[in-house]
Amino acid sequence: GISAPVVYFVDYVTNSIYLEDIVDSITVQDHIYSVQRSGNDSSNLLTLAEKMGELLARMHDEDLIHGDLTTSNILIRPPTEKLDLVLIDFGLSFISGLPEDKGVDLYVLEKAFLSTHPDTEMMFKTLLKTYAATSKKSGPVIKKLDEVRLRGRK
Amino acid sequence: MDLTHRLGLFPDCSVTLLLFNRVKNAAALRKKAMEGSIEGALINPAMIVDPFQILVAANKAVHLHKIGKMKTRSLYAEIIFSLSPNNNISDAFKKFGISDGDTAVLIVLVVDREKNVNLEDIASQVEGQQVSLDELPQLTDTAKVKKMYKVTPQEEEISTLLDSIVCRMSTKDVL
Repeated sequence: GISAPVVYFVDYVTNSIYLEDIVDSITVQDHIYSVQRSGNDSSNLLTLAEKMGELLARMHDEDLIHGDLTTSNILIRPPTEKLDLVLIDFGLSFISGLPEDKGVDLYVLEKAFLSTHPDTEMMFKTLLKTYAATSKKSGPVIKKLDEVRLRGRK
Repeated sequence: MDLTHRLGLFPDCSVTLLLFNRVKNAAALRKKAMEGSIEGALINPAMIVDPFQILVAANKAVHLHKIGKMKTRSLYAEIIFSLSPNNNISDAFKKFGISDGDTAVLIVLVVDREKNVNLEDIASQVEGQQVSLDELPQLTDTAKVKKMYKVTPQEEEISTLLDSIVCRMSTKDVL
């Protein structure tokens, strides 16, 4: 139930994977840049944050750890206004039910978020709020996230 | 009336699909297919949701054929096997190949650029009416397809049936 590019063909000889090309999509990263640059109403960004929180909650509830969550690893299908998100780049992914792994997954995104996009603390807060509301297992995960934040690095 | 596609990764190969309805001699055709006396993969159109599904199967089959790593004994058998979400060859033939009582048949041909294949010759062996591929959706048994590929309701919400199927086809070796 997670939106990701369709795998069309796996070539074990050249070790290549042929994936769907999501035409005219933009990364969440580019979208945030463009909204902030245009000085437009950023409440749409909060809705985006909610959608991201929801998507990640569903992913973690399936015990899937992305491993490299950044705003350039989440695409928005056209038309952008619909905020239809697609997760990409699972090169570092693995399966785990551990709140620690999920907490770290979120921490990586938080660091990437705040270092790439200034003034987005509210966005990430909203993302976490929706994550906690959507995920059935969020309690321990958020707790671990707080612990990891205190530890300062992972 | 028929649909011919070049394979993106194998530009010398073209895949042609011929769809027949009101078929009366499915049993004889199946026998010919088993004997290898008819050119093409004879597929049950009820299990096919879109020509792209066939192209993905054909692409994989051609690839394996070229590197000598097919799991079945012929390219056409390999196409049928590639359609299946699991690795049981005889089950693949039973579910995706044609059965004696079938009234619709989808014939898939793979042709190298040099070879010339006589489509009329093949069509003439079918006692039925050749119809446009636009009629394929009417022949698809969506419920059966969902059951075969084990498509979950959560998937259906965010993706198309075709996408779910293609994913299973292309990643079954890893699972």
